[in-house]
Formats: sequence, C-alpha cells, structure tokens
Amino acid sequence: MVGDKTNPSCAATCRRAMLLLALALVPALFTAWLHPKRPAWSWTRPTVTELPLADAERLTPPVIWLDARPDEEYAAQHVPGALSLNEDRWEELLPKFMAVWQPGVRVVVYCDSQRCDASRAVAVRLRHELRIDNVFVLQGGWRTWLEAHKP
Amino acid sequence: MNGLTRILRFLAGGIFLVAGVLKVLDPARFAADIDHFRLLRYFAVAPLALYLPWLEIICGLAVFVGAWRRSALLLLLALTIVFIAAITSAWMRGLDIRCGCFGAASTAPLAFDLVFDLVLGGVLVWLLRVESRPESPRKA
Repeated sequence: MVGDKTNPSCAATCRRAMLLLALALVPALFTAWLHPKRPAWSWTRPTVTELPLADAERLTPPVIWLDARPDEEYAAQHVPGALSLNEDRWEELLPKFMAVWQPGVRVVVYCDSQRCDASRAVAVRLRHELRIDNVFVLQGGWRTWLEAHKP
Repeated sequence: MNGLTRILRFLAGGIFLVAGVLKVLDPARFAADIDHFRLLRYFAVAPLALYLPWLEIICGLAVFVGAWRRSALLLLLALTIVFIAAITSAWMRGLDIRCGCFGAASTAPLAFDLVFDLVLGGVLVWLLRVESRPESPRKA
C-alpha cells in the first residue's frame, strides 16, 4: 500500500488506521440499534410544505405558530401568540407545544429568514417523530412577517 | 518530546473525545446538523451521524496510546480537512446554519468554527511531524 522504505512504520500506520476505521463501526452499529435518539433513515429527504405569508395567515383556525429561532431571539420579539420550539431546547419546549396541540390543528413554523433551516428541521421532526400532519414552514420566515407587519 | 507536545496532544485528543461524546448523546440532532450542510445525499446522512462521532471518540482515545498515535492523528487530520471544506462551502453559500461540531453545545457562528478547525488542523500537522521525527539519530 505504502512502499516507503525509508519509513518502515508507514504500512503499519495505514493498517492501524484501517483498524481504527473498522473499530468505530462496532459502537456505531449498537447506536443505530439501541440509541433512543437514533436518527430516522430514509432514501429521500422528508419534504415539508412551504407557505407564503399570505397563505399562512389565511389558514383555517385553529393555527399554532411556532418560533424555531434561538431563545434570545424569541424573547426579543416574535409573532404574537407564537410558541417557542427550537432544537436547542427541544425536550423542554416540546411539552408546552403538546399541551396546546390537538389533532386537526394547523402548525406554521418559522425561523429567521429564507436562508435558515431551523423551521424545516422542526417541521420534519414534528411530522416524523410525532406523526403530526398539517405542519407548514413559513416562506421567508420571521423577517418576511416583520416586513409585512411594519407599523 | 517536550511539555508543549504533551499539552497539544492532550488538547487535540481531548477535543475530539469531547466532540464525539457530545454528538453521540443526540445522533438525531447531529444528523439534522449534517443535513443542513446540503452536501450529502439524504440516505448517507443518518449512517454518517451514527459513525462519525464514534470515529472521533476512538481516534481521540488512540492519540493517547503510543503505537496507535500516528494513525489516529492522520485520521483526525483527514476529518478536520473535511470539516474545514464543509464549513467553508456552507459559509460561501451563505447558509445560516450551525456547525454541529460539538453537538448541542454548538452555538457559535460558522466563522468561529472555521478558525477553530484551521488551528486544530495546524496542531495536528505539528503533532504528526513530531511523531514522524526519530527519537534519536539512527542509521537507515
């Protein structure tokens, strides 16, 4: 593999590197099998429907708005009535959402702007981990909402 | 072999060990972090999220074991180069994402992670050079 005669340990180094690569497979397989927070696997990326602001605001009530931005941004300002649900404190915030959610309720998740991915991630987790349908992502996020609701 | 080498070795091994453990705590979250980079096909994301943290942990530990050190440092350097490329790519595409380098503890902006990984890569190269140097002059 490595025919460097001036350094006799090269082949041994590569062999050990291969062994380390193989060794990591063992606990990884156990993690895939037993970990309570193992990732869901699928061939294709789960899709979530994006809604433009006008459509999101026209959804038939009841609608829950979810703010997927970090705590400090939610604390500073958020869509009136929106609940906070971000991945940083998922376990703590989820019960607050579940306390108000009921089957049939529509959920609109937003993060900062068009470029952020947090709202999509939260929406996918709600769909796949909690089997909640009617979850939408707000196109353009908080910045678009703010722009449309300027005083 | 001097004190600085020992400290850098301890830091490099320790950083990967801690980073791996933090990610192993929540592989689903790490999978989401990897996916946000939009660099891999979706079917590869979950397996990588399960495997990569353990590779970091095992190599981080192997840095402390004499005979395995060079192999571990090489693998960690390869990982760091991949991380630097991924972060640079995300940064250039203007993605507003977290690095996910330290699991749930990752809150810093991407630029910070990029600088951190560049320094870490430098340390690994330096450690590898020390490791490749013969202990005492000897004939081939």
